[in-house]
Amino acid sequence: MPKYDRWLEFPEGVASEPDALSRRDFVSLVGASIALAGLTGCVRKPDREILSYIDTPPEVVPGQPLHYATSMTIDGYATGLIVESHEGRPTKIEGNPDHPASLGASGILEQASVLQLYDPHRAKAPRAGRTTTTLDAVRAALAPPALTRRVGARGAGLRLLLEPTSSPLIASLLNEVRTRYPDAAIFYLAALESPSSIIAARSTLGAPLAPQYDFSQADAIVSLDADFLTSGPFHLRHAADFGARRRRSPAAQLYMAETAPSPTSTLADRRIALSPSGIARIAAALLDAVQSPNATASLGEVPLSEPERAWVAAVERTLGVHRGRSIVLAGPRQPQEVHAIAYALNDALGNVGHTTWYSPPAVLDAGEQSHDPAAFAASLEQGADTLLICDVNVCYAAPADLDMARHVSAVPNGMYLGAYEDETARTTAWHVPASHYLESWGDARAYDGTLSLVQPLIAPLYQSLSVAELLGALAGLGTVNVHDLLTKEWGHQHAGADAATAWNDALRRGVVTDSSSQRSTPAVNRPAALDARRSIAPQTAAPNGIEVVFAPSHGVHDGRFANNPWLQELPDPITKLTWDNAALVAPALAATHDIQTGRVVRLAVGPASLDIPALVVPGHAADVVTLIMGYGRDGAESTARGVGVDANRLRTGRAPFAASGARLVRTGDHHALAITQSHWTTEGRAPSILGQAPANGETHATTKRRRPLTLYEPKAPSSTGFGADQWAMTIDLDLCTGCSACVVACQAENNIPVVGKQGVLESREMHWLRIDRYVDGNESAPRFETQPMLCQHCEKAPCEYVCPVNATVHSDDGLNEMVYNRCVGTRFCSNNCPYKVRRFNWFDYNDELAETERMAKNPSVTVRERGVMEKCTFCVQRIRRAQIDSELAHEPHVRSVMTACQQSCPTRAIVFGSLTQPESEVVRLTNDSRAFSALEELGTVPRVRYLRRSSDSSPATDGGRS
Amino acid sequence: MLWVRTSWARGESSPVVQPIAFDHRLHAGPFRIDCRYCHSGADRSEWAGLPSTQQCVSCHTPLWMSSSMLAPVRSSVQTRRPIHWRRVTQLPDFVYFDHAIHVNKGVGCETCHGRVDQMAQVRQVAPLTMTWCVECHRNPTPNLRPVEAVTAMGWAPPARSDSLGAELAARYHVRPLVNCSTCHR
Repeated sequence: MPKYDRWLEFPEGVASEPDALSRRDFVSLVGASIALAGLTGCVRKPDREILSYIDTPPEVVPGQPLHYATSMTIDGYATGLIVESHEGRPTKIEGNPDHPASLGASGILEQASVLQLYDPHRAKAPRAGRTTTTLDAVRAALAPPALTRRVGARGAGLRLLLEPTSSPLIASLLNEVRTRYPDAAIFYLAALESPSSIIAARSTLGAPLAPQYDFSQADAIVSLDADFLTSGPFHLRHAADFGARRRRSPAAQLYMAETAPSPTSTLADRRIALSPSGIARIAAALLDAVQSPNATASLGEVPLSEPERAWVAAVERTLGVHRGRSIVLAGPRQPQEVHAIAYALNDALGNVGHTTWYSPPAVLDAGEQSHDPAAFAASLEQGADTLLICDVNVCYAAPADLDMARHVSAVPNGMYLGAYEDETARTTAWHVPASHYLESWGDARAYDGTLSLVQPLIAPLYQSLSVAELLGALAGLGTVNVHDLLTKEWGHQHAGADAATAWNDALRRGVVTDSSSQRSTPAVNRPAALDARRSIAPQTAAPNGIEVVFAPSHGVHDGRFANNPWLQELPDPITKLTWDNAALVAPALAATHDIQTGRVVRLAVGPASLDIPALVVPGHAADVVTLIMGYGRDGAESTARGVGVDANRLRTGRAPFAASGARLVRTGDHHALAITQSHWTTEGRAPSILGQAPANGETHATTKRRRPLTLYEPKAPSSTGFGADQWAMTIDLDLCTGCSACVVACQAENNIPVVGKQGVLESREMHWLRIDRYVDGNESAPRFETQPMLCQHCEKAPCEYVCPVNATVHSDDGLNEMVYNRCVGTRFCSNNCPYKVRRFNWFDYNDELAETERMAKNPSVTVRERGVMEKCTFCVQRIRRAQIDSELAHEPHVRSVMTACQQSCPTRAIVFGSLTQPESEVVRLTNDSRAFSALEELGTVPRVRYLRRSSDSSPATDGGRS
Repeated sequence: MLWVRTSWARGESSPVVQPIAFDHRLHAGPFRIDCRYCHSGADRSEWAGLPSTQQCVSCHTPLWMSSSMLAPVRSSVQTRRPIHWRRVTQLPDFVYFDHAIHVNKGVGCETCHGRVDQMAQVRQVAPLTMTWCVECHRNPTPNLRPVEAVTAMGWAPPARSDSLGAELAARYHVRPLVNCSTCHR
């Protein structure tokens, strides 16, 4: 990532002794530069051009953004989005309120995907061998006459590898391919998806079904390693439902068993840290406890430690009370036995049909083997001549023991459709740039089966093809117009005159009405469930050595987003690590091996070994190492290249997400990890930071808003100018998982630059909104708490008093304004800010952006230059926009304004509004009994109020020191 | 510091040579074409906007289309390349000015752009300095006119109407706005 290292203060060699430069030379040089500097100050306004349309598109009013509905798919599942476009240039992504997988919220990957579109490292033209070629040549190579000669009339030599897909369009194109080449083999691979839940459903439920949950109706939730609020295809919906339920009293109980602390577990009422084998054991014990005692008596008791026994007992008690209104779910990378037990538990508890049900999986299937990387590798050895890989970086993401690169490069005629010249592109003869989803037509289903359309916001920036276009060529259709294919198919299914209306409606709303899958509530096959229970052998001792868990990166997923600087610089919700991955270890394991954070360790599993920096995480399971996947990329993407270590090198095809018997040694090396918050505890200041009750048993001092003692009369809100509104925000800590969607949304909305790893190491990250996380209690079983921290818009703002040039002032509507063009960069304001939310532009971070990257900038927000301070503005551009729009429409009040962070928040923890509108939610929450201001004792009177965690009624034992 | 206070440094009054010798004197003068016919965003968008090439063509097809003056228009249509106009009025990038709200509150085109109907080559007439903006933002009433007259050139308040500004301010809900974030964000 050379780009982000280039922001050095001085040119190379400037600090070394001047050898040949005499004092006279120096003075003359300085003199010349001063003279030049003086001249540049005298230049007139730059002469600029202004270009008009040749033909203004009817829907465009220059200066007014347009919004279109589309969908983004990850691992085959769609999330509906609304994308903002400025004169044909998509800039900002929001969730689609009408789409069941979004409900208006969006995650970090959706938010950051717009930067992926403008990535200057994307492949720009197709390549055959080492020479650049054309898309027509690609299509010709795939056309039947040429291809049939290679792969045979029935296509016995043809292999297809796709990302799992739910698209009916792709399905029909694949059918055409199959008709032409009946012997071709089709595989679907996703590095982080395991078919185990479907396999378990096949054995215990009698059909390949996907479990569905309604968290809004659940009174008790037991998660066996499922980070269901922040990862997985339906997590935005789950988070919204969970948030809705958590607002109702009494709150739902959330129990978690997991290895490394996940964002979901920060909201858990009772969490236990376990190794992968421990999770299987505890699942078995839970099944024994819930089912009648004699059902599993013959299988022998599962050995449990004292804390495990206590956890199982507490869970069993709670589940017993909430029969029919609870949910047990297993994480996506758990083995099939644990999934089978989760299904059996929901069945035994009577949850099926109420809080959980099943539906056919939305993604396509081509037989049981079609999702198995080992089967794919084996098929390449059996007479494969032509291999078509669509959008799967399989040579990077497959377990190392499958030696995928060798298998793929052995295929004589390999073609890879991918956005980058990555690890897989290196092994194939052909590389075809893949179109971004904002450049293509398509369709896809959400996790619940709801169909939505993918519509392009911009013509392809480069010579690229979408998967559908490539399959069209393979099916012998030549150059296909995907839009026409979609409307033709639509016409078949919607007969009559209303077809066009229905199409336009689906396109406008971004979702096809009533298209979700059929619900089913099959009974569990008890012998099959018992088989699963039996296979978890009653172990008397933990397996030898250390267990290893492979976990996805929160930011870069399986590595496909590794070239996205927003996601690289996004701190992990728990570890706060940026620009790197690490081996997460528990404090106890670190102590026994004398490991500290940043120490490089060598982790060996069987013949493979890996050197990786360690990161000590409180609350991690003992004797387990968690390796974060998605890093150590080695393709041509220069941001991703060389960042972190490739954890796939230790993975095996047999057990892709866990390993045991690992050996751990220190290498003696040290690696600087760019961690944005190295401190874990509040140092005894939890009452004033997190609003927790003070340890001495006083009643909660912050439940009422206190006016600090002051000699001055409080300034009456001004009724002139903007004074009719008084903006304020509340953030419910009871709903914040720390998922960081708000952080990326803020970055996209407010043109926040990226500073690179070195910048983060020097604490120069620019995020206006950061998420602080704290741990409380003892190191092995701590309680986590997250707190989004942004400019508090203090009514008595300490920053404003110290600015020598009045660059930060207060507005009539209660905003702490930051005026970039006045700022001279003294940084006094930042020094005087008790919340440390002001950010300084040490360098001209936007100067080196590629032309395409500049296209992602929001035109409504100033792009700041070097030497100025910046900070959260409460999205003032949206407020002023709403005010102008309301005035133009002659509305009596300003229409409701959503800040970027609020709009993205999956659990709706952030509420924004005006204090002058008495019925508004923000007024109700500001006066809630849980509301407090951070560092209230300072008397800054912030306009941001937090709602303290309601489950924190018990006082912190020792002020968080552990 | 003296330098930036000269009108030359501010680009005031110096004519801007455009690729087409478009004469506002004719179009806005005797032809009485409303400003918003070509600058169609003025009352509904942040930007007033420029006419598209096609818009020039739509009027000019029967009139003067073969004239050498319109050569850039013809070439724009043929090559599908936009006409490269030169900006006359430009604000710094950190200033967010919205045409629609000003026009709908009764600030005339002429107030900032001058008597365009008398300019052979349009030039910047206002200093466009912050002082100049803020003067009006502190006390907008003297610069208000009925919305029906925003595009009128040479509009003058009717005689004996000292209170017209205040009346219009009340009718259009115009208030002084001097917070920094009114324009800087």
